[in-house]
Amino acid sequence: MLDNTQEIRPIPTASQPAQKKSPWYLLTGLILGLILGLVYAWVINPVIYETSSPANLGDPDKDFYRSTIAQVYAATGNLERASIRLSVLEDPDPVYALGGQAQRVLAAGHEAEARALALLASGLQSSQPQPELPAETSSPTHTSAPLGLPTHTLPIPTTNP
Amino acid sequence: MKRRVWRFVLFALAILVGFAAGLGYGWAINPVRYTAASPDSLRMDYQTDFVLMTAELYQADGDLALALARLGFLGNTPPITLIDQAITYAETHLYAASDLKVMRDLAADIQQALDGAQ
Repeated sequence: MLDNTQEIRPIPTASQPAQKKSPWYLLTGLILGLILGLVYAWVINPVIYETSSPANLGDPDKDFYRSTIAQVYAATGNLERASIRLSVLEDPDPVYALGGQAQRVLAAGHEAEARALALLASGLQSSQPQPELPAETSSPTHTSAPLGLPTHTLPIPTTNP
Repeated sequence: MKRRVWRFVLFALAILVGFAAGLGYGWAINPVRYTAASPDSLRMDYQTDFVLMTAELYQADGDLALALARLGFLGNTPPITLIDQAITYAETHLYAASDLKVMRDLAADIQQALDGAQ
């Protein structure tokens, strides 16, 4: 038996080749440009900050800065100012950072510096508010005085430009 | 032929748009962050505070050589220049008189040492 069905194919017209062309070349150009732009912005000509904060310093410089703060605290006893100064280093846990550095410095044989660091760590820890006790066991609680507002003599730390 | 030229122009435009987007992202939205900046790039208020710390320590220990060594942390700028800049900044931003005094004392002692050395 003969099959009389025939495949019907559209007759190609002059405008069809253009319709079949997909705009992938545009996407290719866009991605190519994007890659070139990122390479230029990150590698060839990156943004260079002319000013930075102590938080951007390398670890050895941060240690030196932290140690200087601790020595000033040991000399002046001004905990509020030391606390503000430490905050610009943006350590996740300043007490832990001070304690760790004190141990390293002590191991290197710098006792006076280690003592200053430990003293500041201790001062900060004792100034932190104590967790409240349950109501039934509560006794007259001692809460440390909150840190005062920074004086205008010390620059208020701001975020990285 | 005309179609090919048009496609080439669109392709070039796409590259340009992508390039501009890459620059915007790489410069403004997510710029390179340096995690190890040098101390001499510290902003002026931080430099002034470091000079103040050095002056406070000098007031406590009286060790001029150590104070000069500490000021070396801020780079190769001559210490007297650093202190003068810090004092100017502190005066402009109304630092406390006591803070200005310790910085001026350190500046005077450094100047005296420099004069004596010459």
